[in-house]
Amino acid sequence: MSDPFYASSCQHAQSLPSHLGAGNGPCCGPQAFGHAGRRGFLRMGLGGFASLSLPGLFRLQSALASDGQKSPREKTAIIMVWKPGGCSHIDTYDPKPDATSEYRGPFSTIATKVPGLQFTELLPRQAAIADKFTVLRSMRQTAPGHPAGSMQMLSGDPDTRDKPKPKYPDWMTVTNFLRSQQEARTNPLPRYVGINPPLEYNGPAYLGDMYSPFTVMGDPNAPNFSVPNIGLSDASEVQRLDRRSGLRQKLDTLTRAFDRQGELGALDQFEQQAISLLTSPATKEAFDLTKEDDRTRDRYGRNAWGQQLLMARRLVEAGVEVLTTSLSGQLCGRVGNWDDHAVNHHVFDALRFRAAAYDQAVTALIEDIYERGLDKRVLVVVTGEFGRTPKIEYSPSTGEGNASAPAGTIQPGRDHWPRAFSNVWAGGGIRTGQVIGATDKRGEDPIERTCSAGDFLATIYHHLGIDASTTFIKDFNGRPTPIVDHGKPIPELIG
Amino acid sequence: MQASQEEPIVSKQGVCRPQLLVDVPRGPSSSLGMLGERSASTKGVNARFNLELRRSELRPRRRGDESEGTIQQCDCKIEVIGPRIQSGESVRTSRPNSSLPWIAFPPDATRFAGRLRETPSPSNTYAMMVDQCRRHCTRSRPNWFFANRFPAASMLLCIIGCHLFVVFVPSPRVVSACMNEDSSDAPRPISLVNDVVPVLTKSGCNAGTCHAKAGNGQNGFQLSLLGFEPKEDFSHMVLEGRGRRLSLAAPEQSLLLLKATGTVSHGGGAKIPVDSDRYRTLLEWIRQGAHDDMATAPKLLSLEVHPNKGSLAVGGEQQLKAIAKYSNQTAIDVTPLALFESNDSAMAVVSESGLVRILDIPGKASIMVRYQGNVAVFQASVPQGTPVALVPPSKNFVDDHVFENLRELGIPPSPVCDDSTFLRRVSLDIAGRLPSDNELQAFLNDPSDHKRDDAMERLLQSSEYADFFANKWTAMLKNRRDDASDITSNFAFYSWVRDSLLANKPYDQMVRELLAATGTVIANPPVAWYKRVKEPKQQLEDVAQLFLGVRMQCAQCHHHPFERWSQDDYYSLAAFFSQVGRKPTATRGEDMIFHKRGMAGAANLKTGVTLRPAPLGESTIAIAPDTDPRLKLADWMAAPNNPFFAKALVNRYWKHFFRRGLIEPEDDIRDSNPPSNPELLAALEKHFIESHYDLKELVRVLVRSNTYQLSSIPNEHNARDEQNYSRYYPRRLQAEVLLDAIDDFAMTRTDFPNLPSGTRAIALPDNSYNNASPFLKVFGRPENESVCECERIQTSSLAQSLHLMNAGDVKGKLSNGNGRAELLAKSDRPMQDRVVELYRVAFSRQPSAEELTTAVSYLNEPRFDAQGNPVDAGKSLRENLHDLLWALINTKEFLFNH
Repeated sequence: MSDPFYASSCQHAQSLPSHLGAGNGPCCGPQAFGHAGRRGFLRMGLGGFASLSLPGLFRLQSALASDGQKSPREKTAIIMVWKPGGCSHIDTYDPKPDATSEYRGPFSTIATKVPGLQFTELLPRQAAIADKFTVLRSMRQTAPGHPAGSMQMLSGDPDTRDKPKPKYPDWMTVTNFLRSQQEARTNPLPRYVGINPPLEYNGPAYLGDMYSPFTVMGDPNAPNFSVPNIGLSDASEVQRLDRRSGLRQKLDTLTRAFDRQGELGALDQFEQQAISLLTSPATKEAFDLTKEDDRTRDRYGRNAWGQQLLMARRLVEAGVEVLTTSLSGQLCGRVGNWDDHAVNHHVFDALRFRAAAYDQAVTALIEDIYERGLDKRVLVVVTGEFGRTPKIEYSPSTGEGNASAPAGTIQPGRDHWPRAFSNVWAGGGIRTGQVIGATDKRGEDPIERTCSAGDFLATIYHHLGIDASTTFIKDFNGRPTPIVDHGKPIPELIG
Repeated sequence: MQASQEEPIVSKQGVCRPQLLVDVPRGPSSSLGMLGERSASTKGVNARFNLELRRSELRPRRRGDESEGTIQQCDCKIEVIGPRIQSGESVRTSRPNSSLPWIAFPPDATRFAGRLRETPSPSNTYAMMVDQCRRHCTRSRPNWFFANRFPAASMLLCIIGCHLFVVFVPSPRVVSACMNEDSSDAPRPISLVNDVVPVLTKSGCNAGTCHAKAGNGQNGFQLSLLGFEPKEDFSHMVLEGRGRRLSLAAPEQSLLLLKATGTVSHGGGAKIPVDSDRYRTLLEWIRQGAHDDMATAPKLLSLEVHPNKGSLAVGGEQQLKAIAKYSNQTAIDVTPLALFESNDSAMAVVSESGLVRILDIPGKASIMVRYQGNVAVFQASVPQGTPVALVPPSKNFVDDHVFENLRELGIPPSPVCDDSTFLRRVSLDIAGRLPSDNELQAFLNDPSDHKRDDAMERLLQSSEYADFFANKWTAMLKNRRDDASDITSNFAFYSWVRDSLLANKPYDQMVRELLAATGTVIANPPVAWYKRVKEPKQQLEDVAQLFLGVRMQCAQCHHHPFERWSQDDYYSLAAFFSQVGRKPTATRGEDMIFHKRGMAGAANLKTGVTLRPAPLGESTIAIAPDTDPRLKLADWMAAPNNPFFAKALVNRYWKHFFRRGLIEPEDDIRDSNPPSNPELLAALEKHFIESHYDLKELVRVLVRSNTYQLSSIPNEHNARDEQNYSRYYPRRLQAEVLLDAIDDFAMTRTDFPNLPSGTRAIALPDNSYNNASPFLKVFGRPENESVCECERIQTSSLAQSLHLMNAGDVKGKLSNGNGRAELLAKSDRPMQDRVVELYRVAFSRQPSAEELTTAVSYLNEPRFDAQGNPVDAGKSLRENLHDLLWALINTKEFLFNH
């Protein structure tokens, strides 16, 4: 129990209605953020680069032979900002000032730039640009645990029970896979990049690790931050790689004997691409935040979250098409995520603790997307796997730390709440300044425009030019499996 | 029975489609009274009828040559028109409609035409009758039947509501003619089962991506997948959607048609053109009242494709014809509505209408033809036609069959490979490792003419054989670490598999021990399989796919789209696992497995009927409550005449050694996926059974063959061959083997948690080490989640190239301070020797003179630091050696088993 993250015990789960499948054991919080994070910069080699399949290559060749035109839809991109553990909707985007004190929390409401739309005082900057995004207040899924909840939101698995690994690929790897089938990637940057991405409750399932993200770990605000394998750092290394590959070329005699062999040919292409990735200054630059002027860096916030989102914008601008980044770690408080049970955090202290960095970074990202004209091509989605219980609970803290009182101190918390929560949408050519859906007077259930995890995913896919209703991918057994289990693009969020 | 065995095939577009079996038993004349009680049986249909016809109800209207009358009985009114039937004949018809009883005519019946009061005239009887039917029965469908195989006359039947009209005409030609003439006006009855559903299937409406229930059904309109459940389709089309999908009043305005034609906005686009036969079929069906005929429609018994095999030249074409045979002994050409699919689109393509075009790869191409749950296959042999003058000597039956096939196809094989290549290849394939320098030396110097067999034998006896194959099997058997506490059971299970292979336990025995395992994991390690695979459904699916090569997953929820397996087959197989008892043990997550006494059975998900255990494709077997059904399953599997068990295994092992299964994918054995060399597969199967399922013996047969030992370098004629084994098909080393190979080459090792230092990647007991080794993950080592070997990723990727070029772990190995580069740098041997050593270890061969020169001169090149100053010779050499090692592991020759 040295890691406070595991110390959380969650009797709260029983408070959820049984039809949500709650009550099957104590909650361990989203484990991904407990042990897998911040250990090293580069996990798992370079997965995610392998977006070039053999058929893709051939198609590229034929495409280049005719003309290189691609429809603008294919170039669309998504930045998903993930709030692991689930953000309290009632304390942020869906305040209930008229609810009783058992529910409403201590934060006062503020007006936003959109008449009639109110946030809590935690989000003044977003309130000031509320015309630049749309809040969906009636998000609802059915899984009360972090694993199943994340899998519902990311891979559309309707299962409400927690399982250790996803059964279906998440939308990010699906997109990487589908786009790889459509076209070869000419941009040396990987198609799918994760900057401290959600790691544990999502993944490629039957698509294989080659479609996993290129993962950047660590704090991009740290002075010694660097991204391995992207652009070799000094010229002598580049020189040496050139020399080595020259030698290899001379010694690689087998290829000539098999020049008809598709697989060997494909490998040749991958090798060339790898070398270009390693040696190209452009790829290195895309990850290099020092190329941004100080004002921009300040604007996002000189902290991990701010710089993560800045890097996200930079990479998407340079041609990355799927980008996920999670707002976790020290900026979240003691347990490093948004899982604000009373055992983990004093929920209100925790929200206040992280509000400034969160509000600043998200605001800067949204504004920047519009200012740089990326708002049609790039859709920004800010969400977590669920909301938090509208009714405040009180339990003893299990440890002292940021936003948590000493162990044993009774403090307020909020538990898991998949029945209703909010997320934020910007860019993507959508009409902004809207609010979609509403919850009841306590923020417990949507009362209009209920949107499911399937709708959430179908909307994302729609922006990516993928028709979720007709796209199937074969699983290990060769069975065509739909990429979304029931869901339609949310009409108000279609650009 | 007079109904003919050779019913003429008539076009589906035409209206002359026989729908009703009519037979005319010869015999003594029967009276009306005698017809009262009779059971009639036709193929697949048994029915009793009870019809009391009273003469008093015959109301003759006219006398003479033409007589008419009406028979009325209960709510059934029968109206008959026709010429006099020859004495001595009676006519029975099968029940055309559930609302009607069976009817029969007395031999001496004259013509009755009660309702045709207006203008009964023999010359225009038919048209008039149609008209009459319409008038009388505007709200019922007319159902037209016609049979043209009467001895003396043809009979035309029309059923409208409760009315049956029968027309006898002098000859089939007359009927044909009048029906064709009248086809637009009075089409034949459209059958839901045999006409409408095939149209939906052909048009793709019920495909997974569109309206199939299995794929969610777009916009709430759900059809059964590929039309396997017409009953559901009927209710979805006719009854649901508040009835708005069909409009009986204005058939053309039916939503079904408006959507299908794209007249109104349709997510799937325009699927059925208005002027198509498919459209007319649907329209007519709606016009006729959109009735279901599940109970009465002739049953589709089989599907044939004509021709079903043939030899086609490269670039050749062949039009296929799909013939459906029905329970009423008719055969219909259903080509326009059948689905055609090429099993390998690199070899042959097929159009929607069944025109096959052969591409430029010689071998065996097959086209699968599907129609209403039935499957037929067209197999084309595509010879290349090159004269095959020289074939390596045949060493065993494998060579016999392979070379015979190559001669037939005219594909000259590559020559047998040299010794170095053979040793590298066989070491990688049997033991999952490169040969050591010493092994290579000894092998090359061995003058014996059976040294290849000896080398193979040594490898088979080595513990690495067991490691390598245990690695293969434990992945498929899902030896997976989900929880840290799994370690004990995973190690136990791995050891059981490995020890069984090492001791060469007969395969059937291994499978039996696994299938019928009882007890706890520690006492009986194969029980661990039941820890991983908990549900009976999962158990049957895994067993079927892994040991029988049959993919049953589809049949859990719907009829298998390419196979004969139904849900009943699925649950009958599941029943074998219904008596697996579980009792938690002290170890978390582990149950004791025991046989739960009782009658085995599993309920069909759809029908709810509990099914008793039945092996695939066979009838139910009786199992006493005291007997563990799993033993019976194991008995059935290991019986010498089992059609799947040995075949699946030899095909799997063939693929291991030859890269491509004789059936591909290796665990998808079905009639519609024929083997590329059926004789060879049968011979291997026979040999394996006769050897009492001896796995090592199987390896011997494969490896000893000259087929296995062919060079991988194509000659000018066989480069395009991808399935006839005219050369060895190279393959990238799998993740574990490649990691070990790099370690062997660099003289380093990879350490894995909880395992003794020096444990090779190939000997890892479960998947948990993938987390510790990014290398294994990037190169596609499976997570042991699927029973399919396809979970292992064997294709190359950019990530792999990057990893080999720049990842820290690989770079670290190449420049390891105790590694080979360092040893060579410190050595005072001539530069040439050092290069030779590297080549022998990496490629199991001597470098060529040119390679030697290139490498040596590279090693001798001086290096300069960033400032341009020369670095000292030792450092220079070290750097150059690292470069050389790097270059060698990044060649195809290293990365591939060739």
